[in-house]
Amino acid sequence: LPSGLSQWFPALEVLDVSGTGLAEMGTELLSLPCLHTLLAKNNRLGGPGSLPKGLGQAPLARSLRVLNLSGNRFAEVPPALLQLRGLRSLSLGGNRLHGIPPDIQELRSLEFLYLGGNFITSIPPELAKLPSLRYLVLCDNKIQSIPPQLAQLHSLRSLSLHNNLLTYLPREILNLVHLEELSLRGNPLVVRFVRDLTYNPPSLQELAGRTVKTRNVPYAPSDLPENLVRYLSLASNCPNPKCGGVYFDSCVRQIKFVDFCGKYRLPLMHYLCSPECSSPFSSASQSSTSQSESDSEDEASVAAHRMQKVLLG
Amino acid sequence: MEQPVQTQTWKARSLEELVRILHQIFAEDKVSVEEVQALMESYESNPEEWLRYAKFDQYRYTRNLVDNGNGKFNLMILCWGEGHGSSIHDHTDSHCFMKILQGNLKETLFEWPEKKGNGEMTKKSERVLRDNQCAYINDSIGLHRVENISHTETAVSLHLYSPPFDTCNTFDQRTGHKHKVMMTFYSQFGERTVC
Repeated sequence: LPSGLSQWFPALEVLDVSGTGLAEMGTELLSLPCLHTLLAKNNRLGGPGSLPKGLGQAPLARSLRVLNLSGNRFAEVPPALLQLRGLRSLSLGGNRLHGIPPDIQELRSLEFLYLGGNFITSIPPELAKLPSLRYLVLCDNKIQSIPPQLAQLHSLRSLSLHNNLLTYLPREILNLVHLEELSLRGNPLVVRFVRDLTYNPPSLQELAGRTVKTRNVPYAPSDLPENLVRYLSLASNCPNPKCGGVYFDSCVRQIKFVDFCGKYRLPLMHYLCSPECSSPFSSASQSSTSQSESDSEDEASVAAHRMQKVLLG
Repeated sequence: MEQPVQTQTWKARSLEELVRILHQIFAEDKVSVEEVQALMESYESNPEEWLRYAKFDQYRYTRNLVDNGNGKFNLMILCWGEGHGSSIHDHTDSHCFMKILQGNLKETLFEWPEKKGNGEMTKKSERVLRDNQCAYINDSIGLHRVENISHTETAVSLHLYSPPFDTCNTFDQRTGHKHKVMMTFYSQFGERTVC
């Protein structure tokens, strides 16, 4: 970026430096107090100097709303980026990301997140802590599973998951009330019943966590190390209505198929907190087809009502 | 005895001229697919002429009606955000021309599924269409999926359908099951249509 940029254009609101071969964006950015949109796609950004130091303290951290860094060479989300508290729209499509940092949850105002076309293999449950997220694009990656916590994204209207490595979805996906678009094509979704017989007994940490949650043992952030506070916030409820229990990492997995309007059969993974628990639908039987179809009618009619445009096609 | 269709070599120098020539061609009883395709290709995309129809939606591609061809055809502009794609669909016995105005679109052709088919649909071919290229399809050729596979660029395409239709079938690639859908316009003649 040319030095003196902020002296010549102190009121700059939109800066588009896309396709300029830029490898670094320096401190010139820090003195642009009105900048709300920064477009820097198709450049050579991704190395250490890509974003200037001190970004978190600059006026930019509060003013920037839109940041487009697609088509660059980022192998990880730069930590400095996570200090842009006012960011509403972030695109890192077509980079070289292998993962998403849990601290993505710091971007509290984020509504639009585009991460398509990277090498992402998994999604941190912390991504679900973005309360305003409406559009999430994860297509063309290497994702093998979706954490059930993603169902906590209450504002989500559109979820793009096509061309990944998903074999099933968490049944909690049906809880995304406002979801209108869901793309799943190009995933190796299982079409036949899969019985998962392995059950890893819960760890001591998990058992302690379950007890804290189900007995409502009061605790404050000052009582526990930060990592355990975070762990407790990631509890999932057992779907068995008679159980009321929670689980963290250890659970029994069962795949049930849900029909959407009798047209698409989605394999949804049901998690139960223990083998003794039974699912709200009767336990797994030998014949998958009849069982899952009769079981899933209620669930399907509710889901079909909510999910209007499932783009499995 | 049928008269042979007179095919001319047209050059549309603007979008307005393209529409005018289309009206002329479609006023006849017989229309040549090759003639229309050549005409569509001859128009060199000029964003100033179509920007007012190009309304993008954040979540999915949009269909924006440009001209309703006196009932003989529909001419519309489709706007594709990064990563936006269509389902696999048919064309309800109509002719479909698709010309790229900006960016690139990937077209994947599929065979029609077997009547009682319950398996993965068969891909016939795929190609990436570039600026100003015009593709043609109809139901006897097959089904297709159209996608903007770019994660950095948007795409805009000009579509002509004759006769016009407002429903089609979408197909589940994994099973070949079809589902009839109603197609709507995001905008008509440059005005946003509120549904």
